[in-house]
Amino acid sequence: MSTPQRRRRGAERRPRFALAVTALFFALLYLPVGVVVLFSFNAQKSLTVLDGVSLRWYTALLHDEVLLDSLGMSLRVSLAAMAGSLVLGVALALGLVRSRSRLGSFAGLIMLVPLITPEIVTGVAAMLLFKGLGITLSTTTVMLAEITFSISYVTVILRSRIAALNPEVEEAAMDLGATRGQALRLVTLPALLPSILASAVLIFALVFDDFVLAYFTTGVDPQPLSVRIYSAIRFGVQPTINAVGTLMLAGSIGLIVLALAIPRLFGRKGGLDLLSGK
Amino acid sequence: MATRNNRTGTAVRPPQDPAGPIAPPPDRTRPEATPRARTRTRQPRLWTWLLLPGTLWMTGFLVVSLLLVATLALGTTDPLGNPRFGLNFANLTALADPAYRTVLLRSLGYALITCLISLAVAYPVAYAIALRGGRFKNLLIAAIVVPFFANYLVRMYGWSVVLSDDGPLLKALRAIGLADEGTKILQTGVGVIAGLVYGFVVFMIIPLYAAMERMDTSLIEAGRDLYGGPLRTFLFVTVPATRQGAAAGCVLVFLPAMGDFVSAQLMGGPDQIMIGNLIQDKFFQGQNWPLGSALTMLLMAVLFLGMLGYLRRTRKDEAEAAR
Repeated sequence: MSTPQRRRRGAERRPRFALAVTALFFALLYLPVGVVVLFSFNAQKSLTVLDGVSLRWYTALLHDEVLLDSLGMSLRVSLAAMAGSLVLGVALALGLVRSRSRLGSFAGLIMLVPLITPEIVTGVAAMLLFKGLGITLSTTTVMLAEITFSISYVTVILRSRIAALNPEVEEAAMDLGATRGQALRLVTLPALLPSILASAVLIFALVFDDFVLAYFTTGVDPQPLSVRIYSAIRFGVQPTINAVGTLMLAGSIGLIVLALAIPRLFGRKGGLDLLSGK
Repeated sequence: MATRNNRTGTAVRPPQDPAGPIAPPPDRTRPEATPRARTRTRQPRLWTWLLLPGTLWMTGFLVVSLLLVATLALGTTDPLGNPRFGLNFANLTALADPAYRTVLLRSLGYALITCLISLAVAYPVAYAIALRGGRFKNLLIAAIVVPFFANYLVRMYGWSVVLSDDGPLLKALRAIGLADEGTKILQTGVGVIAGLVYGFVVFMIIPLYAAMERMDTSLIEAGRDLYGGPLRTFLFVTVPATRQGAAAGCVLVFLPAMGDFVSAQLMGGPDQIMIGNLIQDKFFQGQNWPLGSALTMLLMAVLFLGMLGYLRRTRKDEAEAAR
């Protein structure tokens, strides 16, 4: 650690209050998650008494056609949202950083809207749009809404990466005879690959877990997994939900760790800007 | 002549022509036709073309849909309950109903209390990690962020189990005598606020942590050297130095807390509903979409006023910092 840090350690008492609050915070942060995981292995239906370890709720899940359909739908929606928002978002981010067109200021403004609007508003709005156009709510409408919502995230993440690129490398490629398109394809996009992959994983996780937007734009059957969980937990205790929840937790945590690790795998320091808050 | 828009300042390089059509409208002559063709090929339209699909998409799906909500707020329903567009102010006047005012005020109150509790939790946590985290800093921040990305409903569900009448938290509180048999958390306003804090406190910790990381820690030492106690140093040195992070965090917590309907549904009783629950109800149970749209616009209006206040505040801060 740096010298001022060492000096401070000697000069200051331990901030006991802050450390105690932090410890309590971490305990409360992980307690609910731990309860879901723990009780997913409970042999009984109870949510308060742990009575033997079993995998019965996981086997019950495997035989629950409705939940499996929802799982399949959530996976399809996440993949579609990932692909769609990457194509549109990467192009948009490149345009926002490089173009000096007035369209850029407008685009820069509207892509911030989903980030500062509560999801219930965008959800209601998307639902009204589809209904207004006479489109029956279905898997497709969920995909369209999720793409719209994800473009902002892709753009925010990639914008700072693109701004940090050295444009002279592209210029050099063009001096050596590459066209603008070739320079983009052979120089710029490969340089952005780690960030693109990281945002792809992040979008997949965000969309898979999304509830509010999915809730407003989904049709009757099949419904996204999070919407299915919502209807299940509103009507009392269903231990299968603990098993589904545990699997979703494991999946999301795996994906987020992957998204954080991708830039490092490519030999870059630091994780996603969005996560580190810098 | 197109104005020069030097927005980012990142990629501005000498060969640029200041008088050139930096922001070419679509019908401008081809750049090759002008004498400075070589520089022009370096500022091609490709970038503007790349903007188009995303902008069109966002306009079509987002801007239009939000305008639709605003328009339908003035609509009516026909006898079958189908929404009809029109120019009718009945929904807006209906918002003056004291019942809605109560819900709106409750939502504002819950969201504000959520902000305050989040601040009270986030300050010590961000402080401890930023200043005492050492080489574990990034690991600890990741440990906070990762569960936040796990499914919101699963987390809320787990939290409601923890807070339930015979859940671990109340059992522990009873054991140490801080609660008696009748104490409840679920089905009360406390439960709703606990849910909101659990859901959104991360949005407070991250900007506060970033602000503390940037803070000049020698200020704290100076405070100590001048015989400030820990509390005084915190209040008069740390808080002012990080107030922009705190303000950003408040916005980020307040926005989703105002719009949330899951927490009030899972943790609260029928007398703790928030504006999000009203909107949800109008669209799914009540089938009164125009009124639901009006309520959505009301929520947006309240948040917009909050954002304006935040922006004015940060401008003032920046102006002070510049002086």
